[in-house]
Amino acid sequence: MSRKRYSKEKKHRTGEIPTGSFSDIAFLLIIYFLVATTLVKVKSIAADLPSGEKASQSQSDKTPIVNLRGIEIFFNDKKVSVELLNERLEALELGEKEPAKRVIMLESTNGTPYDNYFQALAAISAHQGVVAIVEED
Amino acid sequence: MKKRPQSKKRRAVPVPIASMGDIAFLLIIFFMVCSEVSKDKKMQVVLPLSEHVKKMQAVVVARIAVDENGEIFFDGTRVDNAKDVEWGVRALLTSTISDDQRHVQFKCDSSLPKETFEPVIKAIAAAGGIIEAVGEKQP
Repeated sequence: MSRKRYSKEKKHRTGEIPTGSFSDIAFLLIIYFLVATTLVKVKSIAADLPSGEKASQSQSDKTPIVNLRGIEIFFNDKKVSVELLNERLEALELGEKEPAKRVIMLESTNGTPYDNYFQALAAISAHQGVVAIVEED
Repeated sequence: MKKRPQSKKRRAVPVPIASMGDIAFLLIIFFMVCSEVSKDKKMQVVLPLSEHVKKMQAVVVARIAVDENGEIFFDGTRVDNAKDVEWGVRALLTSTISDDQRHVQFKCDSSLPKETFEPVIKAIAAAGGIIEAVGEKQP
């Protein structure tokens, strides 16, 4: 008797999964993604800094050097503003030179803020210079 | 009495909506695949200004950030020092073939002194990364 009941329960029911609201759910999810997403395109400057060991002999004296002392900028030991630095770098016409001669030394003292460093880095990179960071002894 | 012409009768045209769900789910998958989750939202970084910044075109392999407290973050995870950054970038760049795959995003607070950020810049350079220093356009 009980066996008979068990076999009855085993019968498959024909039920359909309601899929009518699937598109509504999907579109709601799309709207959520569109609203919650923030499209950020950051602005930057590219700087390929060559790395290497310090040479025993110093580089040619003619290599331009940018010194950052706190908030002050010096170009070849002459105090300049950011605008003047841009003018000086533009006058060098680095873009027309071979890569080895595009090197601009960048030296900075302790306490130099990143803001100032970034200005110099951006100016050198914008004029196709290759930045070489000068290490302290 | 005037009779309406028969051609004016409107026919009910059924719009096929059976594939709407499929289209919508395809769109969701597209958005999910193309989206990139921002990892450095919580960081407090005041970006420096420059007239030379351009919209970044390169695809970056790593994101390095130094926040206003001088804490270093590598892809959103805090690391102890610049050496960790160097090893991390070096590991990511081992299988790179072209220069396009060497770009590393660098974000730093504009007020930080040289002692804090320069070791990180040097670490990226030593690992072979091209620095993409993030800044804001000067108005």
